[in-house]
Amino acid sequence: MEYTLLRTGFRRAIVACQNPAKRRVAVQPRRYFATPVESQGGPDEIRAAPPIRFQSDDNQFSQSRPRAELIDNANFSRGGRGGGRGREAGGAGGGQEVDYRQLLRRIRIVPASPSYFTATPRYTDDLLHLSSLLRAHQVLPLLPPGQAPRVAWKTIDQYKTELAEPIRSKSYNTLLQLLKRLNYIHPSLMPQEVTDALEKYKRDVQPHLNVPNPIVVNEYGVARAVGRRKSSSAQVYVVEGTGECLINGKSLTEYFGRLHDRESAIWALKATQRIDKYNVWALASGGGTTGQAEAITLGVARALMAHEPDLKPALRRAGCVTRNPKRVERKKPGKLKARKMPAWVKR
Amino acid sequence: MILRSLLLRQGRFALPRSTLIRPFRRYLASQIEETYTNPHQHQQFIAGADGDATKSQAATSLSAESEVLDNDPVALNYALQQHSKAVTGKIGSMVEPHYRPHELLSNPPSPKDITLELLMASQSHIGHSTSLWHPANAKYIFGVRGEDGHPIHIISLDVTAAHLRRACKVVSGVTERGGLVLFVGSREGQARCVVNAASMSKGCHLFTKWIPGTITNGQQILGKCKKKVVNHKDEEVKGFEDQLIQKAAVKPDLVVCLNPLENYVLLHECALNNIPTVGIVDTDVNPTWITYPIPANDDSLRCVQLIAGVLGRAGQEGQAVRRELALTGQLPARQDHGLEPPAEQETDERNSRDKEHGRNLLQAGDV
Repeated sequence: MEYTLLRTGFRRAIVACQNPAKRRVAVQPRRYFATPVESQGGPDEIRAAPPIRFQSDDNQFSQSRPRAELIDNANFSRGGRGGGRGREAGGAGGGQEVDYRQLLRRIRIVPASPSYFTATPRYTDDLLHLSSLLRAHQVLPLLPPGQAPRVAWKTIDQYKTELAEPIRSKSYNTLLQLLKRLNYIHPSLMPQEVTDALEKYKRDVQPHLNVPNPIVVNEYGVARAVGRRKSSSAQVYVVEGTGECLINGKSLTEYFGRLHDRESAIWALKATQRIDKYNVWALASGGGTTGQAEAITLGVARALMAHEPDLKPALRRAGCVTRNPKRVERKKPGKLKARKMPAWVKR
Repeated sequence: MILRSLLLRQGRFALPRSTLIRPFRRYLASQIEETYTNPHQHQQFIAGADGDATKSQAATSLSAESEVLDNDPVALNYALQQHSKAVTGKIGSMVEPHYRPHELLSNPPSPKDITLELLMASQSHIGHSTSLWHPANAKYIFGVRGEDGHPIHIISLDVTAAHLRRACKVVSGVTERGGLVLFVGSREGQARCVVNAASMSKGCHLFTKWIPGTITNGQQILGKCKKKVVNHKDEEVKGFEDQLIQKAAVKPDLVVCLNPLENYVLLHECALNNIPTVGIVDTDVNPTWITYPIPANDDSLRCVQLIAGVLGRAGQEGQAVRRELALTGQLPARQDHGLEPPAEQETDERNSRDKEHGRNLLQAGDV
């Protein structure tokens, strides 16, 4: 008996898997709204159950006691709607009930924001607030174009997560335009309310504030800078002097055997014709000779810019200012070196 | 030769701010050249004359900058400009009171200021081309004007005035009884007047596209938007938050539509839900869409702002009447909110009961 039932069951399952038309779907229960519509107390009305009174009596579940006693008769007879609540207040609640009745007669449900029917009330309120600020402070003088303080504004995803509203990128761009325009107000005349309003839309971490420490000349007239090239790095100290140069304790000719390296190490001074005006003391490590020489070049250039900032365009033309980002490319599988392929074989 | 002098080698900007030469004659010049100095410039790679400039010094120099900004030439120039404008601006010919467009938004007229002259000056009598008209509007049309084969319909201004006054009565009546008025105007330039009218009537505004289903499918579209409970004095009443979550979305009690041609979906939804509508009916608009039409020109921004302003003022007057009634306690009661008294005492009792129960369980577990 069971065997035949099992077999028919299996057969039905196989058919259902093979032929989608013969799949039997369980009847969907009647779908209810996520938020129930206003009901006027009909049979479908959702009522809270009366509260359960927990007792510490050990005999509360004993067989001799009738079950009906467990449910508070007074609560049940009143009916569901607010049944237990009024009773619990007791005699003292009589006056409060009157207050509640008067309160209920006077209250009404309204939207929390006038932008309720836009379906994005918080975004619309933000937009209106910024627009009103702009209108109020439209005549204030602005900074020249391109010179507004750099600000990292929130991304649309961050803003959407914060607001929990569906906002289109076009709408957010409108908001960003307002923010950028308000940011251009001259700082000497920037109103406090505008500053407070803009703060809300800035990212928590402002990457542009992460500025490198400025290279300065200390009380002894020494500027310290670091330069890097390939895997070499060099700490360079430049001070006004007569043109001496020591690298890792050795002179230029001792340290660099190659003439090209010697020249490139102090290229910054050579290009600006100041070899005899500064002394250089460098500590180079890592990499090879040329790498260290180029690292010293960059270090000397940076230290020289600390002494004389006006030399920056000249050094840029000489090619000392940019850090050469090239590194040795790694070897890849299937190739002999980074790019070199093994010899091609026909078969 | 090494130029050790700071000024010669690094220029003016390396020196402390106070020694900057600021020519006094510039304050009196009529055209002042912009010599903007970037306040952040001195942070980058400049050797301070006194000691080392670490990041902390940069920060302190930033705070020192705030004192400098008060003496900023731009701020001083702006202050001088405002001062001279205040002193010398009124000198000259007498200026008669005249039309100033922004006054329609900042100080709109009230329903008792409706005159035919005002309506005509706001171009509300100008209809569309006769070939584009809706024949149901015939009773609002005064006649046809225009030559060279482009005749347009002219709307009767006395009809406009009458309908506008009626609409004002409707709006003030609704607001007197605590109803919610929704002002809708989705054309460009209508945003400000819509927002103003809504704020005067303490209603809601919409100046972007109406999302179809906002009323008929409110629990989906407006489910996440917050509602609140207010009393007769329009003060918020706390304690109903958990009940509000279960409540359906709020529907407006009156909808004012400034461009019905683009918002026919909104008007249809209002009709489905028995919400009366007020709207500006131009000669090409179907007047049967709207409960209280106002025959006027919906293409002229001045006309639209006038009508929105007047209706907003009507709402404001209704709110004032309501406020007075509330203070004397004569307000008609509204019973259809379906709210229950907030459970303040019960939650405390329930909390204490739950705590006791939990304690009992813990004790049982320990044993």
